[in-house]
Amino acid sequence: MSGVNFFGIRHLSPAGGFYLEKYLEEIKPECVLIEAPCDFEDMLPDMVRNETKPPFAVLAYTKNAPLHTVLYPFAEYSPEYRAILWAHKNNVAIRFTDLPSEVFLGLYEEEKDENKAGKSSEEERADGTANEHTPSVYEKLDILSGEGSHETFWERTLEQSESADAYHEGANLFGLKIRESSEETGEDRRELLLREIHMREVIRKTAAEGFTAEKIVVVTGAYHVEGLKDWEKDEKIPEMPKSEGFHTLMPYSYYRLSTRSGYGAGNKAPAYYELIWQGLKRGDFSFSAGAYLAKIAAYQRKNGNAASSAQVIEAVRLAGSLAKLRGGNIPVLRDLRDAAETCIGEGSFGIIAEAAADTEIGTKIGELPEGVSRTSIQEDFYRELKDLKLDKYRCVTAQDLSLDLRENRRVSSEKAAFLDLNRSFFLHRLRVLDIGFAEKGANTQEKATWSENWTLRWTPESEIRLVESALKGDTVEFAASFVMKERVEKASAMWEIAGVIEDAFLCGMTSALSYALTALRSMAVEAVSFEELAKTAFRLSTVIGYGDIRKITAAELEPMVRQLFYRGCLIAEDACICDDAAAKAIAEAVGMFNSVELANGFLNTEDWIEALKKISGRDDLNTTLSGLAAAILLERSKMSNEELKTEVSRRLSRGVPAELGAGWFEGLTMRNRYGLIARLSLWESLDGYIASLDDEEFKRALVFLRRAFADFSAAEKDGIAENLGEIWGLNGAEVSETVNAVLDTASSEQIAALDDFDFDI
Amino acid sequence: MSTSKNTKENILRLPAEKLFENELNALIKAEADPVPKGWKMSPKSVKTYICGGKAGNTVITPKYIGHERLVEIAIATLVTDRALLLIGEPGTAKSWLSEHLAAAINGNSSQVIQGTAGTTEEQIRYSWNYAMLIANGPSEAAMLKSPVFTAMETGTIARVEEISRCASEVQDTLISVLSEKRISVPELNMEIPAQKGFSVIATANTRDKGVNDMSAALKRRFNIVVLPAPETLEEEMSIVSTRVTQLSENLDLNAALPKDAVIEKVCTVFRELRQGETVDKKQKLKTTSGVLSTAEAISLLCNSMALAGSFGNGEISDEDIAAGLQGAVVKDEQGDIVAWKEYLENIMKKRGSAWAGLYGACRELNS
Repeated sequence: MSGVNFFGIRHLSPAGGFYLEKYLEEIKPECVLIEAPCDFEDMLPDMVRNETKPPFAVLAYTKNAPLHTVLYPFAEYSPEYRAILWAHKNNVAIRFTDLPSEVFLGLYEEEKDENKAGKSSEEERADGTANEHTPSVYEKLDILSGEGSHETFWERTLEQSESADAYHEGANLFGLKIRESSEETGEDRRELLLREIHMREVIRKTAAEGFTAEKIVVVTGAYHVEGLKDWEKDEKIPEMPKSEGFHTLMPYSYYRLSTRSGYGAGNKAPAYYELIWQGLKRGDFSFSAGAYLAKIAAYQRKNGNAASSAQVIEAVRLAGSLAKLRGGNIPVLRDLRDAAETCIGEGSFGIIAEAAADTEIGTKIGELPEGVSRTSIQEDFYRELKDLKLDKYRCVTAQDLSLDLRENRRVSSEKAAFLDLNRSFFLHRLRVLDIGFAEKGANTQEKATWSENWTLRWTPESEIRLVESALKGDTVEFAASFVMKERVEKASAMWEIAGVIEDAFLCGMTSALSYALTALRSMAVEAVSFEELAKTAFRLSTVIGYGDIRKITAAELEPMVRQLFYRGCLIAEDACICDDAAAKAIAEAVGMFNSVELANGFLNTEDWIEALKKISGRDDLNTTLSGLAAAILLERSKMSNEELKTEVSRRLSRGVPAELGAGWFEGLTMRNRYGLIARLSLWESLDGYIASLDDEEFKRALVFLRRAFADFSAAEKDGIAENLGEIWGLNGAEVSETVNAVLDTASSEQIAALDDFDFDI
Repeated sequence: MSTSKNTKENILRLPAEKLFENELNALIKAEADPVPKGWKMSPKSVKTYICGGKAGNTVITPKYIGHERLVEIAIATLVTDRALLLIGEPGTAKSWLSEHLAAAINGNSSQVIQGTAGTTEEQIRYSWNYAMLIANGPSEAAMLKSPVFTAMETGTIARVEEISRCASEVQDTLISVLSEKRISVPELNMEIPAQKGFSVIATANTRDKGVNDMSAALKRRFNIVVLPAPETLEEEMSIVSTRVTQLSENLDLNAALPKDAVIEKVCTVFRELRQGETVDKKQKLKTTSGVLSTAEAISLLCNSMALAGSFGNGEISDEDIAAGLQGAVVKDEQGDIVAWKEYLENIMKKRGSAWAGLYGACRELNS
């Protein structure tokens, strides 16, 4: 025996945490060695502060792009965290044994280079142990254990150990066996060997410092125990890749813990494991079972579902007998969940799924004391917050903030004059980063480009997202610009880039704006659909509409919009060859295009009118769209009453299938209805048309006219009635009464009979 | 009735405990774990009996394939003296599982109440031999005990099949039985307490028409296990082939067992029409009104074997299968024919030469 005490653990194992404390109490070491990157030692003072509430994590990230991260999460019951706390309380030295984070980052970068199609940085490098074994070892274990899952096997055999010795021996054996079976496959061996070389070196150094071997406890992943036993042998330290990086403490959440799978990096049911931890502290092994099921029932009741205590009792009993069937005494998570499904969920998991998620994962979020290890982006964020006088909004209750972006002429300094504008820039940047702090509300005054309403609410989740944004840049502005660049690179449609341009404009970021514009220019060369053109042009036009209120000139956008507009005019006609389902989207696009043209004086109106006239005049396009084009022309006084009259009789004439006529009329009524109602000649021609019909034809026309007028409001019908009254020389009110009257039974039947009307005569 | 006719060979369908007598005996002999009161073997052995395995040198055939965890939950439920309710679509082996559970736990699966619309309260509790009742007045000898009554007295398991077919008031009779665990006989001024080991396994159908919903009060007294349709084609095929083999031994069908390819075809057609999409999930299709359960697939294949054995050369031909499919898929509704024809033309026809024979035979029946 080497004399050094090894305690093999599994990360995030409550029994590990519990028995490790006991073990330390028994050995009373003078130095505790813990498996974590050795450069994280500087975080120790902050980790042990009273205000630090787990879960938290240490995050290391590369200085330069592309970004890589190493994440070490700690929960209250993490054995490493328990060991740190114990050592701190007993004034015992602590050393971290693992490779420094910059080597991890370096190794990762190397691997990335070799294997470009590798896995995403966040997922994989969360913790070394996730990579230590090829999946096949665990798959083998899944089958061998007979439980169908090594997680369950671990919980049943080791989480429920009854003594520190049992856990200690069990975990070491578990690690040894996993090691033996994975040595054959040998994936990820290099990193493993390097790590163990480094760990052995740290043990040697510690021993050299004068600590007696018997008074050193090494807390390490169970897997490594065997590899570290030979620590005394001198060995050459190989050259290791390095990549410069930073690290920081960050608050963490159970939800995030649960989304990371794998041996060490995460924990599928952090809140449930906390129940086990509480049970261990109470010395009551069966605590977790009762607590889990009672919590599920409580959640069900809180959400209005029935769940009685009797059901909980039955579920506890069922879970117990399920555990016995597997030779255990205490139910594991799988037994509990199945019991809850059977007894509380009436056999279907869907009923208790939400309750199970809440009980297993939970919503706990960690806390760090004020000012602890802030990343540069956090510092920037808090400085800006102070600068912009937004400090008081940093609290958990939602508060409203309305901004006036115009220059405030009553104040002396320029900074104060544009305070609200700068606030708006800042909040928009946070929105782009998806920090979740500021939510933009609807504008009360339409087209008031100078006013904005925001709702601000600070949550710990926002802090977490902010820390994660540290990967994207050192300041809020840099990070936002990074995100926008990424969005531009990923964009597959023009209007997405137009969205970035709009965001860049709202964020007041000129460089991002010009970057996105360049991308848009190169994309605009390619062929795109009319809808996409319209969407893009519309977004850009909105930006132009802001004018110089945001102190950025949008003049650069004008040629772009002009180009898009001209192209749109050319292809609009062809876009209108479509079926009714597609017509909806095209109609929207035509509307957008029209408003783009109206909003921007520099565009050539003739081109657009020309296109509309073609659409309106052709018979072989989608009739709804033709009608819409006619309506726009009318609205813009580009179609005379005479022309409209001709058009109405042509569109509604004999031989035109009724649904096409109706479609056209629907299109016509899509736009300004009052404009139509005010046009007496339209109603005259419609009246004349109806009068010219014989009985059979009238029946036909009635069907589609009813459809076209179906969504007119009572007031609009009033207006029509007035018109008709005038034409027929009647009192408008009387006609209105008739038009708006509810159908009597006889007429209803007559109309119902029309449903079977055969249009093909 | 002469008893000599009741030999094993003459009975159309033997109860599970007779059919698998050897396996049950082997399991009891090899028992190593504690046996709950009133049980014949330990819960672990019950699971081995149902999911397959080995007892000493005897191979235990699996009776229920797939979803071992559900079997565990069912057994664990019975250990806790709770009643068990098996719910599922038709043909998901509810009754099958219930019979085998009772056979393994008690060695007796015959304490059954078959739920129908005509089931009365007396059939669940007890009724009287009226001749004796009138002659001698109420006495224990004049009582006709129901299977539930007997099960309580002997500490065994009673089965209630198709509980949702019984009228609601009859279902509710079970509520007091399950919560009090005793039946009172006011006529005799006595009360029968249930012995340890008593429990009830009920089965209920979720899809058939003409079922009465179970009351919440009754549902609360059961642990509910929902039996799903087989998850994968392979699982369904293995269920079908195991059952067909067992059945054909019993029925002397004089025909060769269906080949794997045949079973695969039948299961594929059933699954696809049931789920409304092809097995590779690439194509949507119309579903039919029939349930097309695994049980139906089994009986279809046995039918085809009978056809082949009696009228053919003993080898299942595509024509035999086609006739069976036609009957299973096309129920009395017009829509079924349309869906079936579409399936034939759009899916089966394009499956290549392996399916060509079956396609031809099916088409012939529909032309």
